[in-house]
Amino acid sequence: MSEPTDQRGRGDLSPEERAVFERRVQELDQKLDRVREAKRVEQSAGQQSRMSGRGMAYGFRMVSELVAAVLVGGIIGYGLDYALGTGRWLFLAFLLLGFVAGIVNLLRAHRKLQDEISAATGGDLGRPVADNDDD
Amino acid sequence: MPDPIHQFEIHRWQEFNLFGYDATFTNSSFYMILATAVASLFLIYAMGGKALIPSRLQSIAEIAYEFVANMLRQATGEHGMKFFPLVFTLFIFIFTVNMLGMIPYAFTATSHLIIAVALAAIVFFTVLIVGFAKNGLKFLKLFVPSGVPVYMMPIVVPIEVISFLSRPVSHSMRLFANMLAGHIALKVFAGFIVMLLGAGAWVALSPLPFIMALALTALEFLVAFLQAYVFSMLTCMYLNDALHPGH
Repeated sequence: MSEPTDQRGRGDLSPEERAVFERRVQELDQKLDRVREAKRVEQSAGQQSRMSGRGMAYGFRMVSELVAAVLVGGIIGYGLDYALGTGRWLFLAFLLLGFVAGIVNLLRAHRKLQDEISAATGGDLGRPVADNDDD
Repeated sequence: MPDPIHQFEIHRWQEFNLFGYDATFTNSSFYMILATAVASLFLIYAMGGKALIPSRLQSIAEIAYEFVANMLRQATGEHGMKFFPLVFTLFIFIFTVNMLGMIPYAFTATSHLIIAVALAAIVFFTVLIVGFAKNGLKFLKLFVPSGVPVYMMPIVVPIEVISFLSRPVSHSMRLFANMLAGHIALKVFAGFIVMLLGAGAWVALSPLPFIMALALTALEFLVAFLQAYVFSMLTCMYLNDALHPGH
């Protein structure tokens, strides 16, 4: 470091130096903002893709819950008809019961999903949850 | 057009008869044994160092452990942890089988319904046995939701029974259907590329199915993981019902 040439003490800045310094601080600020913004976008994108993957899994889960219950109901009814010789009445009745059971399954799975989402968003269901399906 | 179902064919490699049952060693058996071997060797090798500061491989093994442990702990509470070996084995096995199936020319054992049914049956019967052993006849409270008036019971109880019996069906169907459908879709789009390449001027369109096949491959990797995750998560939920019946 060269000796200061005017009356200012060590560490003091001339107006030009101060201007340069402030410009550099501002530049750094902007740079940091950009980095933070990029990070935030990246994180939300990551969350979105996670959520959409889960959404697909849950969608498929709902379908299979419903179909499986109808199937099981139908099979039980058919078996009972076969065993008791009641024609096709129990088959019809149990098909309907199976459908109801499927709906019950759906509602339970849905409640579970709702709980999970509210846990993920801190209990605040009003906050939009990342969802990038195209509807 | 190449046959998209061809990849699921079972090949009998070594005829083998076990007490009158057909226990032939097939390509499906081979890939399941391979998956077990790969998973076991990986975990044994990765944890071989037992370092306090884990190496990369040890980190992967620990992440897998913690992932399953947290899932089970959240669903069943601390005393459900004695089922950790079951859930962890199911998760790692399904995950490895699915991932091996993503290798070109490999066989995906979970794309056969019988494999998925066998896995789901293990869970179903575990739940039944544990449920009755732990709670006795109180386990039947699972079929009688609290707060339902008596005159509704004749309708509600059959519904609950059907709902309970439909679990292994949906449990296995989901795994098998996801793996089957994904691999068929992939194969069909790959077939389109070949067909367009051999169709004169239509070759200009061939990048479209190629992009689709590329996207589907990425999606399939996601599905391979997600299905292992969903299967083990539902296992945790069902085990929770066995430990704490009555909603």
